[in-house]
Amino acid sequence: MTLKDVIRKVFLVEIVKGMALTFSRLFTRPVTRRYPKEKRPAEPGFRGLHALVRNPATGDAKCVGCGLCAAVCPSRCINVYTSEGPEHQKVVDGYEIEVLRCVFCALCVEACPYGAIALTPHYEYADYSREALFMTKERLLDNWDRYMGEEGLRYFDSFWNPKEAHFKPPRGQAMFKGRIIGGFSG
Amino acid sequence: MIKVTIDGRDVELEHPVTVLEAARKAGIEIPTLCYFEGLSPFGGCRLCLVEVEKLPKLQTSCTLMTADGMVVRTETEQIRAARRSMLEFLLINHPLDCPYCDKAGECELQDLVARYGPEAGRFAEGKRRHPESFDDPIIVRNMERCVLCTRCIRMCSELQASYSISVTGRGSHSFVEPFSGGRYDCEYCGNCLTVCPVGAIMSRLHRHSYRPWFVEKETETVCGFCGVGCSMVLQMRENSIIRAIPRRGVGFNEGLLCARGRFGYEYVEGGEELTTPLMRVDGELRQVSWEEALSFTARRLGEIRDEFGGGAVGAVASGRCTNEDNYMLQKLMRFVIGSNNIDSAARNYYAPAQIYLERIFGQGITANLIPGIANSDGVFVAGGDPTAINPILGLKIRAVWRSGGRVVVLGVPGGLKRFVPYELIPVPYSEEIVLSAIVGRLLERKPPGGANAALEAKLRDLRIPSDDELGSTGVSPEDVARVSEDLSSMSTPVVVIGPDMVQRRRASKSLFLLGAIAYLTNARIFLLADRPNYQGLLDMGCLPELLPGGRPVELEMFRHKAEEALGMKVPEQRGLNLFEMIDGAESGRLKALYVMGENPVFNLPDGVRVEKALGSLDLLVVQDVHLTETARLADVVLPATAWPEKEGTYTNLERRLQRVRKARRGKMASYGREDWRILADIAGRLGMTKTYQRVEDVWEEVMHVSALHTGLGYEEMDGGRALWPYYGEPLRGMEGDFTVEGLDGLPEVPAPERPYLMIERPLYHSGTFSRRSKALLAIQPGPYLKMNPELARRHGLTGGDKARISNGRGVLELEVRLDDDMPDNQVHVANTFEGFAAMRLAGFGTDPVTGALYMDDNTVRVEKVLR
Repeated sequence: MTLKDVIRKVFLVEIVKGMALTFSRLFTRPVTRRYPKEKRPAEPGFRGLHALVRNPATGDAKCVGCGLCAAVCPSRCINVYTSEGPEHQKVVDGYEIEVLRCVFCALCVEACPYGAIALTPHYEYADYSREALFMTKERLLDNWDRYMGEEGLRYFDSFWNPKEAHFKPPRGQAMFKGRIIGGFSG
Repeated sequence: MIKVTIDGRDVELEHPVTVLEAARKAGIEIPTLCYFEGLSPFGGCRLCLVEVEKLPKLQTSCTLMTADGMVVRTETEQIRAARRSMLEFLLINHPLDCPYCDKAGECELQDLVARYGPEAGRFAEGKRRHPESFDDPIIVRNMERCVLCTRCIRMCSELQASYSISVTGRGSHSFVEPFSGGRYDCEYCGNCLTVCPVGAIMSRLHRHSYRPWFVEKETETVCGFCGVGCSMVLQMRENSIIRAIPRRGVGFNEGLLCARGRFGYEYVEGGEELTTPLMRVDGELRQVSWEEALSFTARRLGEIRDEFGGGAVGAVASGRCTNEDNYMLQKLMRFVIGSNNIDSAARNYYAPAQIYLERIFGQGITANLIPGIANSDGVFVAGGDPTAINPILGLKIRAVWRSGGRVVVLGVPGGLKRFVPYELIPVPYSEEIVLSAIVGRLLERKPPGGANAALEAKLRDLRIPSDDELGSTGVSPEDVARVSEDLSSMSTPVVVIGPDMVQRRRASKSLFLLGAIAYLTNARIFLLADRPNYQGLLDMGCLPELLPGGRPVELEMFRHKAEEALGMKVPEQRGLNLFEMIDGAESGRLKALYVMGENPVFNLPDGVRVEKALGSLDLLVVQDVHLTETARLADVVLPATAWPEKEGTYTNLERRLQRVRKARRGKMASYGREDWRILADIAGRLGMTKTYQRVEDVWEEVMHVSALHTGLGYEEMDGGRALWPYYGEPLRGMEGDFTVEGLDGLPEVPAPERPYLMIERPLYHSGTFSRRSKALLAIQPGPYLKMNPELARRHGLTGGDKARISNGRGVLELEVRLDDDMPDNQVHVANTFEGFAAMRLAGFGTDPVTGALYMDDNTVRVEKVLR
């Protein structure tokens, strides 16, 4: 033990240093929050409660029912039910997510070619029953309105980089029924 | 021996095959799009390109034959680039609507692009447009997605031999279209759906309602529609059948199915299934508990047995139920109640024909393999259209034609029309004369060899009609000469016998003559069966005269063996057959009838009489899936499970035993119970001590009781080894003991004023199940009256008119459909639609020798219905 160490021990230098930090904090704002009263805003890309993106143009979900989310889901918590509509179009009858089984990997969001499913910043959804955490299509759309809305679309575009653009055909190309403009230019 | 090197691997080949086949044999995967196993190579997609040393350019491996010393590389940078370019060309016109397309996930183009690229297309111009076609009720065409691999066209013309679709247009406007325009005018086999690699030809059943990865369970089972017994895979999602698909390499149908098999499964979840037992209380059918229904049935059966004896009870088995179900019914009747009165609708033609042919030639004479037909060089078909009754068997006959063989049809050729070199349509009820003439000519060309003395002795007594006597049949002596020449030139012929040959007066003579033709030409015999398990119910002993294994009940030796095996008694006398049971019910001799999975009111001739007879019974128990016409008359209705809801075995017409497996279970399956369980429960209440836990227990007992099925467990069936002859002992020593009616005479051919009513057996419908299938109804929505335009003109009718046909037994009003192929003075009606039972109008008798049903006095008055 050198003389230096002895002096440090005798005059409690470490403790004084520590207490100085504590003392300095007496004059700064606290970093902890009084949680239920004060809420912490989520960071961009936070994976909270699920929502189905509402298409402002149609008022219905953007989802076309391709089922890629269900295919990629590692915990198999997504069920998509589709059927043929009156004009032979594909209609999404049901979209179910069992939130309790979800592992919030967001692979569904990544897989979706239309940016039709989102994980909202909302995280306060603890409940007492399983039913309350079984999301149907209506509830998922409702989640979107409540926790994302118009703001969400902007966020979505900038953050998730949807693959829809890759599927967008040039003008006049045979593509989705009912949305074709112009004919074969030959 | 050919030695080739593929990707550095040495492959030795016995015969020259294509490079693609050689590579697949060596376990090297070469990507393909237009190649499909079983179809002729096309070489159109250019994806199977390979590099061959000493050949300057890339070669298509599907068309290039191997040669000795060839050195082949299948994956080089050059090949990958070529493949990528080919795919880029395909994607120029392929809409990338994968999220909407039902094929996504099992799309071959999608898989290939994922593997080889390109990541992005460079073609900025517009894609071709072609509206999706919904003109057809079953098949939807999206020709924008078509990649022109022509697999569907090759399937349609090569395997199905239907020649219904082709490429129309040129260049980028080439599309695959049916010749008929919008709606397919084809057989709706749906085999084009199997082969389409993209989503261009898709089924409209469950359209947009599933993705391939939503399939939760696949069940490999056997089709429940006809006697061929094609293997199919039922894909399930949440206990509902998504689709029925064939699979290459599974079963002998080699990836082919027919309209009924592929699209007809919907009846099992149509919502009309019975869910609880029903019992007649105060003249009305009311829902009751299982316990109530079973105890009532057992009590009443016991009372009737004790009061009137076992002979007052009868049972009708079903060709749609499994072997186990039929065995259990037989056990309940024979061993528990003590009655040999058990028969089935196979009595209509199949059972008598089979038993009679076995009497001539020995057991197992019709147990020939269906795939083997295609190797034959000639087919003689008599008495029905195999392409409608047993479509997959019909395809094999077409395959004979494709490979250069002769197809000769006696009667209306129907689906074989394009494959016969000449038509041979005798006047109704004169077939016997034509057959006698053919046999006469054959005897001159092919003298019998002496193997079957009994048959040859009878042949010597046969009266051969002279050319003048042929005059009344409508078949010329030249045609007869041609037929016999064709028949005698065949070296490995096949004789296919259909129902119409049996349902005639003197069925024994027709069958004998057909047997003689087969004998003289050394042919294999096939007997068409329109239900999946006709042969099985015969082998299970659901006949008044035969015990399980086809052993005659009247022979003490066999009776004793069965009694010993089960420790129960069997009555000595043969029982009543189906028609005698109806007579018995009418006269009051029969007091109780147990009907399992059959609809006698609808499927037997003279339905009014059958209905009355069944109504006068003391007890009528009906066990079925739906509330059929017969079930509505019943005292007790017991709900049974349908074909995809039960385990068991079917025996097909080639006597192959195959497993039927349960696909649906749980809360959404109908609430019925398996037939054998219901029967075992009733038998238990009537004093049977043995209990069964699983269906295997029933089959174990069958193996013990039936000498035919000894040692033939479910494992053998799974391995495809359950083929005739089984491991057991066939019945021998009974053959040769048969009589033929009217050998030395020739019948008078009636020439009635009014047209004959004949029963049509259509491709799309086969009875009370198919009429509950939405898809089959979409193809053929209702009944019709088929007739020749000339006949229609004589009655002032045109196509689409409503006509009334009537005779003493009833009246039917039907839409007229004209058909140029129909013979004159006949009208055809199918016996499939509720309220339009053509059998009701048919007069019938039973053949004294074979016990078969024969149509008689079935002329009808045809009138136009004025609106």
